[in-house]
Amino acid sequence: MATLVQVEALRKEFGNVRALDGVSFHVDEGDWIAIMGPSGSGKTTLINILGGLDTPTGGQAVVDGTDVARLKEAGLTRYRAEKIGFIFQQFHLVPYLTALENVMLAQYFHSTTDAKEACQALERVGLKDRVTHLPAQLSGGEQQRVAVARALINHPKLVLADEPTGNLDEANQETVIQLLRELHDEGHTILMVTHDPALGRLADRRIELAHGRLATAARVRQTL
Amino acid sequence: MFTRILWKLLRASRGRLVVALVALVSGAAVISALLNLQFDIERKLSQEFRTLGANLVISPERDAQAMGWPADSAVLMNQDAVLNQVERLRTQELVAAAPFLYVVAQVKDRPVMVAGTWLDEATKLAPTWKISGTGIASRHDGTGSLLGRNVAQQLKLAPGAQMELSYLGRRALLTVKGIVDAGGPEDNQVFVNLPVAQQLAGLRGQIAVMELSINGTSKTIESYAQRLAANLPGFEVRPIRQVTEAEGELLNRIRLLVLSMVLLILVLTGLCVLATMAALAMERRADVGLMKALGGSISRIVGLFLAEVGVLGAAGGLVGCLVGVALSRWMGQRVFGATVSARWEVLPLTVALMVGVALTGALPLRRLGNVKPAVILRGE
Repeated sequence: MATLVQVEALRKEFGNVRALDGVSFHVDEGDWIAIMGPSGSGKTTLINILGGLDTPTGGQAVVDGTDVARLKEAGLTRYRAEKIGFIFQQFHLVPYLTALENVMLAQYFHSTTDAKEACQALERVGLKDRVTHLPAQLSGGEQQRVAVARALINHPKLVLADEPTGNLDEANQETVIQLLRELHDEGHTILMVTHDPALGRLADRRIELAHGRLATAARVRQTL
Repeated sequence: MFTRILWKLLRASRGRLVVALVALVSGAAVISALLNLQFDIERKLSQEFRTLGANLVISPERDAQAMGWPADSAVLMNQDAVLNQVERLRTQELVAAAPFLYVVAQVKDRPVMVAGTWLDEATKLAPTWKISGTGIASRHDGTGSLLGRNVAQQLKLAPGAQMELSYLGRRALLTVKGIVDAGGPEDNQVFVNLPVAQQLAGLRGQIAVMELSINGTSKTIESYAQRLAANLPGFEVRPIRQVTEAEGELLNRIRLLVLSMVLLILVLTGLCVLATMAALAMERRADVGLMKALGGSISRIVGLFLAEVGVLGAAGGLVGCLVGVALSRWMGQRVFGATVSARWEVLPLTVALMVGVALTGALPLRRLGNVKPAVILRGE
């Protein structure tokens, strides 16, 4: 498998606080990686940098041949639109747009909109009958499935999921987990931040962070 | 998708946007009313100034008058020479034109100033004259006369009475057809049609002065005077400055007043929109953070919001302009006692001003471009 993500000596500092301190790892295409660790360990900072939402203080984060650290604002915008699909713990749907329009919004920022394709994406996550519903009219699980459809609509190289089941009840967790399994089976590359050991075990590999570093370098190297 | 999102944005924030819309409609209504009033007032004031009498006089050249030539020779003008040019240069602005010849004649052994003119035109030159009696509608009526109020009192003559005018042995028997109350020197004069005065004075085809009433601004009047002067060499064509300058001065003051008020209203409307948009910008931070995370460029996202504000400005301008037309009509009736006509050129002007104000007031929305998606998505 070709390497999709190559992270080398990645550092991120917020003032005097080191959120990431020399993190290095790589991810192959089609991998499902779980990033785990306690709160404040730098998990979200790591996927924010990989997703082009934040810039590192030092080091390299190369995704599909693009060094995210070197991109300027406009380059980061195109990078996010073309290469990344985000799934957030809080779903982050636009409240005044319907499920269909939320999916189409990602298309709009990527290139052109295609309502038929957006409908198919929603149908695929089991929301065929919910396309005209506003987020407030959907359950948490349904909102997260809209977010999954939105994340996949532009065929991203990398799916970044930040605690994708963190806000869901058990039944909806299972639905979303099943969706992630299907995405993995289809060959999508997924980087997932989670606190849930059970969900972490479903991933191909785990990266454990503590205080901005890989928890135990030897063990992680061995795991990787 | 652009219009779809735009529509949803407008609907989603309708509570706040209604506040901005009310400000824009109010501002547009007052501006539109003021502009309508200003345009119409200029026209109405010009008409009102015309009631003050002639604003352009054609007379023999000053040099000829200064030489002290006798009143019945060089200082008079050939009637046809003047009238032909006036007729040739007649435009829509010419409200009335009347020649005058003055004779100091005798009535019952008393001297009276007789003004020979075209009485049909003279009454148009001075529309404020109050005439009791039947009046004289034709310039060819050689048997009737109008008496100034004071002359009528002194001679104890009323409409229907006979009167004989005499001058150097020439006589004219006339019937009094009306009493003129002008509130000025005209109250001391006797008015007859021009041929009567010319026959009395023995000056057939001669006039002393030609008075004209031109509708329009002082510039229009000056321009008309210049055209006449160019075609009447040997005559003096002179605007009556007290009238034209007073009119110009008043119109300039009204323009300045309206412009100041429009600017003030624009600033106040802009401030109201600014306050609303500042609050809206805070509400929209989460949406903008998410849109940026999804790959939305700053120009595309801010463009959406500015389009929303632009639509708001256009709607406010359009509705406000229509309200303004009604307002100007109401103000016209209540304040000026006259109907104010809607000027359709005010519509695009008001809409453009409101779109401009709305976009200026939307400055806080432009700062949304600085929103950091990572910060917003963390819930900060």
